[in-house]
Amino acid sequence: METVSIRRYYVWQLPVRVYHWVNAVCVTVLCVTGYLIGSPLALQSSSEASFGYWFGTVRFVHFVTAFVFFFNFVGRIYWGFAGNSYARWNNFLVFRKSQWREIIEVLKVDILQAKAQPLESIGHNALASLTYFLTFIAFLFQCMTGFGMYAAMSDSWLPQLFAWIVPVMGGDFAVRQWHHMAMWFFIIFSFIHVYLVFYHDYVEGRGVLSSMVGGWKFIEKEKGKN
Amino acid sequence: MANRIVVDPITRIEGHLRIEVEIKDGKIVDAYSSGTMVRGFELILKGRDPRDAWAFTERACGVCTTVHALASVRAVEDALKIKIPPNAELIRNLMFCAQYLQDHVVHFYHLHALDWVDVVSALKADPKKTSEIAQSISNWPNSSPGYFSDLQKRLKTFVDSGQLGIFANGYWGHAAYKLPNEVNLLGVAHYLEALEWQKEIVKVHTIFGGKNPHPNYLVGGVPCSINIEESNAINAERLAMVGRLFEEAKEFVEKVYLPDLVAVAGFYKDWGGIGGGLSNYMAYGDLPVNGYADVAQFKFPRGIILNRDLSTVHPIDGSDAEQIQEFISHSWYTYSDGDEKGKHPWAGETNLNYTGPKPPYDYLNVDQKYSWLKTPRWKGMPMEVGPLSRLLVAYASGREEVKEVVNGALAALNVPVGALFSTLGRTAARGLETKLIALWAKEFYDQLLTNIRNGDTRTANMEKWEPATWPKEAKGVGLTEAPRGALAHWIVVKDQKIDNYQLVVPSTWNASPRDPQGQRSAYEASLIDTPVKDPEQPLEILRTIHSFDPCLACAVH
Amino acid sequence: MEEKMLTVYEQMQSRGYSRRDFLRFCSWMGALIGVEATGLARVVHALETKPRVPVVWFHFQECTCCSESFIRSSHPIVADILLDKISLDYTETLQAAAGKQAEEALHATMKKYKGEYLMLCEGSVPTEADGVYCCIAGRTALDIVKEAAEGAKAIVAWGSCASNGCIQGAKPNPTGATPIHKIVTGKPIINVPGCPPIGEVMAGTIVHLLAFDRIPQLDGLGRPKAFYSRRVHDTCYRRPNYDAGLFVESFDDENAKRGYCLYKVGCRGPVTYNACGVMRWNNGVSYPIQSGHGCIGCSEANFWDNGPFYQHLASFPGFGIETTADKIGVAVGAATLAGMAAHAISTNIRKRHEIKKDQNEQDKKGGA
Ligand code: HEM
Ligand code: HEM
Ligand code: NFV
Ligand code: SF4
Ligand code: SF4
Ligand code: F3S
Ligand SMILES: [Mg+2]
Repeated sequence: METVSIRRYYVWQLPVRVYHWVNAVCVTVLCVTGYLIGSPLALQSSSEASFGYWFGTVRFVHFVTAFVFFFNFVGRIYWGFAGNSYARWNNFLVFRKSQWREIIEVLKVDILQAKAQPLESIGHNALASLTYFLTFIAFLFQCMTGFGMYAAMSDSWLPQLFAWIVPVMGGDFAVRQWHHMAMWFFIIFSFIHVYLVFYHDYVEGRGVLSSMVGGWKFIEKEKGKN
Repeated sequence: MANRIVVDPITRIEGHLRIEVEIKDGKIVDAYSSGTMVRGFELILKGRDPRDAWAFTERACGVCTTVHALASVRAVEDALKIKIPPNAELIRNLMFCAQYLQDHVVHFYHLHALDWVDVVSALKADPKKTSEIAQSISNWPNSSPGYFSDLQKRLKTFVDSGQLGIFANGYWGHAAYKLPNEVNLLGVAHYLEALEWQKEIVKVHTIFGGKNPHPNYLVGGVPCSINIEESNAINAERLAMVGRLFEEAKEFVEKVYLPDLVAVAGFYKDWGGIGGGLSNYMAYGDLPVNGYADVAQFKFPRGIILNRDLSTVHPIDGSDAEQIQEFISHSWYTYSDGDEKGKHPWAGETNLNYTGPKPPYDYLNVDQKYSWLKTPRWKGMPMEVGPLSRLLVAYASGREEVKEVVNGALAALNVPVGALFSTLGRTAARGLETKLIALWAKEFYDQLLTNIRNGDTRTANMEKWEPATWPKEAKGVGLTEAPRGALAHWIVVKDQKIDNYQLVVPSTWNASPRDPQGQRSAYEASLIDTPVKDPEQPLEILRTIHSFDPCLACAVH
Repeated sequence: MEEKMLTVYEQMQSRGYSRRDFLRFCSWMGALIGVEATGLARVVHALETKPRVPVVWFHFQECTCCSESFIRSSHPIVADILLDKISLDYTETLQAAAGKQAEEALHATMKKYKGEYLMLCEGSVPTEADGVYCCIAGRTALDIVKEAAEGAKAIVAWGSCASNGCIQGAKPNPTGATPIHKIVTGKPIINVPGCPPIGEVMAGTIVHLLAFDRIPQLDGLGRPKAFYSRRVHDTCYRRPNYDAGLFVESFDDENAKRGYCLYKVGCRGPVTYNACGVMRWNNGVSYPIQSGHGCIGCSEANFWDNGPFYQHLASFPGFGIETTADKIGVAVGAATLAGMAAHAISTNIRKRHEIKKDQNEQDKKGGA
């Protein structure tokens, strides 16, 4: 029987893990509340308006979560410079030829379902890096459009930083439309992301799934160069 | 050779109108009417949601604001077979009446009066005599000698300032001005009062439609809800305000507008023989009292009078491809199958194609294309539309109310029926129908209250609101009477979107260039034979053109 | 006489108004343009000493509803004053002179008051086909704007037409309709959007210019902050219903009869900057929302292309009328889920196969 020796790698430091789960919760909450803001439920209530505030609450939750989401995101950017090699910012830029080769490899595994070859990377694989990079851009976009709109309802400094975005995009209507459309990017990203994490865990059997909890990944010894 | 005179811009109208006339021996021998601005509404409407069309078309004009919205919702309702609730019809009628009251009064005082009233000579009036005249024709309270002498003082300071503002460079002192100084002063006083008053009656639009100009409409009814137990809807207070506004309007019309009209007309009876122009008159009719489908019950009946023959009223069918058609042989457009044949609006095309002289220009090439207006025809014949046509069709249809006011006015001025077919006739007809409208508004208002009292508060029918309930393809036409005449919109809906949308507007009928057979439309025809005393100061041209109350933004769209 | 210009105060005196009327007028104006009580003396002084300002009012691609709205400006004394305090030397809608005489009046003012006159523009300017889509007196609007702007002290762009192109600028903008600020440079331009703007907003803008002899504070889009700094939504009296989640679901339903929020039938109040909620229309009688119809966003650039007006988000061009981002999003989301399901099934089949193979190999090895 062929034996493979496995090594434990400490990949995801605590700040990355905390960031990840805070972010995951925020995005989920923002999508749900955002969707409700866009298409509020029918509430056939005859009570006085002054008795209820549920829609105001939905918006309030959206805004509070937005602030948490924003600062969490800022924290992750900081960790991109302060954290370990797996957390570094340059992980998310796919410039090397080998990374592109890896993307093709992963696509083969993911889509064509070729037999999993142990991969070069220990942190994110290159395809994941690319999608996370896009996700970060989308985070930024969502913050800019969100706070741009929010600037009209708040005098505090943070939203005001983004007030300029509204005239540039051609008015509140356009900003809202874009902000709303971007929500679908997150929803679809989350579906695929979560599925793929489980899938990789299943086919590769390297503990990807639990790595975001405990921080450890399990990699074949001779392959693990990183 | 005849002498070519150009008047551009024609002012005190809506929009951009240019008139070129040939004058020979002090009379106009030929005339050309040109609209010089276009926006392309019919192109912009393509592909949009039919439920939004009212808002787009309403912006054709802010002067007759609402009438295009009305034509539009009717066109869509016709296409989708939507029947609106009775209250919605009544509210639309009330908005219609408010529009007429405001538009006609503003036309008379602010757009037309200065053709007859010499502002500067009012300075020489004796205010006491003005007061006597005012009190002899009406019991309107603002009529004391002091009132008129204060006004005269204000006017004098204004003129003395050397900055004449809107009165600068008018044809003051022109020999065609015939009013005594005292009546001129009265005219100026009411010019200012009417300016104040007009913004009151439009509040009817604000109550039902949220604002004026450009109140809101709704396919399937009206957007406002009635709930007499709620502060957020049409309730007793809102209705009381509507009632009061119409009462005040009626008073203004009866005590100021009509007495002034009769007083002024008395000095210009010769204009009962000038400016008749065409002899065909068309009205689509409006003000349903039993639903839009019951045309026979309209307050303004539908029909056509040919050759001034008041014994026969010919029927109109907006969906008959052979009846109403638009021609472009003298308009800056092209048709895909040649520019000589007419097109029914459902098959209408709007392809802008300017071929006129390169600006700046002195004259248009009037033997070729020379206007942005298309040329509408009914069975190939030119039609005059407007207040005069409405009254003539109603008169010929035997409507007693109408006969009464028309005969009354003819008797008061001591002129024959034939005087109606003229510049003066048009101006008088506008005043007379305003009087009727003020009466009818009260009927609609009372009916609305009765319905509410009986428990019917519905204002919209939303059954066919969702595009999923619409047929794959549908066609509709919405007819109405705008203040300036017969207005209709034609719509073709395909796959839930507007596939074609055509507006044929009153001022398009009246102000259009000639058709392929060389027949003139109303403006051009009415100018023929008009005497022009001083070609440098063509006041007479303004009189006849203004009697139509031109709206060129409407006409071209 | 020729050269003398009367001050607003003198004008009012001559119109029979008392000093008290005048002061009341000043304080109303002050309130309208938002000056504090302490600043009132300045307004009084300005209106007492300023001569009538020459004004030319142009009409290009428009529907004249801005003019109509202007004459609806409510407080009676204001309508009087605006006719007399400014000298409206050119305005096709109201002036007595026509044709040649009208053009002469225009040119006289432009010459005599070069650098002093106010230029008010109603309507957009077509730029396609060298501007032939709007000609006045044989000249293109484009030509006229450029000439008149030269000597203007300041320019006011009335309505959405002049400040953002409005309806004729909606897709496909067949005439190249262009707002004033994209044609004229180097002059102060005040955009007063709305289709039309509220009459009192128009009057207030003029009064601001006259009383303070300076441009009102403008926002990033050139609009006076005094009237355009708040969203309709932020001053909407139905806002408590919005916050409570009480919405009209369909016109004239029970909720409409109770005056609930119009958000779900397309109200654009949350994305529209205008004073409708505070000033209301026609002397405070109502405004669109109060009368049951959502705001259609008439003071926002491109609002015509953000339709349909009865849904909260715009439709996607090329799709059906009701295709919003959500419909597309749901479709893509569903496709993703379906793809994942298929993927998971085939993965499982393969994996089981592999496991079996591994197992077999191990069995074989073990058996040998
Ligand atoms: C993953 C992140 C986010 C998602 C998915 C999301 C989603 C949404 C959605 C779908 C809407 C409704 C848009 C509509 O149809 O009208 C919305 C509204 C809004 N969002 Fe977000 N959003 C996110 C982040 C943010 C952030 C970071 C902010 C920053 C403050 C923000 C502020 C807003 C504001 C101000 C509104 C408009 C609410 C209102 O006017 O009532 N959002 N969001
Ligand atoms: C049950 C839910 C989730 C699980 C199990 C999960 C698991 C993981 C795992 C294992 C990784 C590391 C993947 C790798 O090695 O490349 C990861 C990374 C990441 N996930 Fe999730 N995830 C979940 C939900 C989400 C959600 C909802 C989002 C938000 C959109 C999200 C955003 C991210 C991002 C941005 C990273 C990159 C982390 C970094 O390096 O900063 N995840 N996730
Ligand atoms: N012609 C015209 Fe209108 C009217 N009345 C509309 O249909 O003015 Ni603007
Ligand atoms: S902005 Fe609207 S109201 Fe003003 S002229 Fe243009 S279309 Fe008319
Ligand atoms: S009606 Fe419109 S403006 Fe008013 S609260 Fe609702 S969404 Fe906002
Ligand atoms: S449509 Fe216009 S009038 Fe006011 S409420 Fe909206 S900005
Ligand atoms: Mg047409």
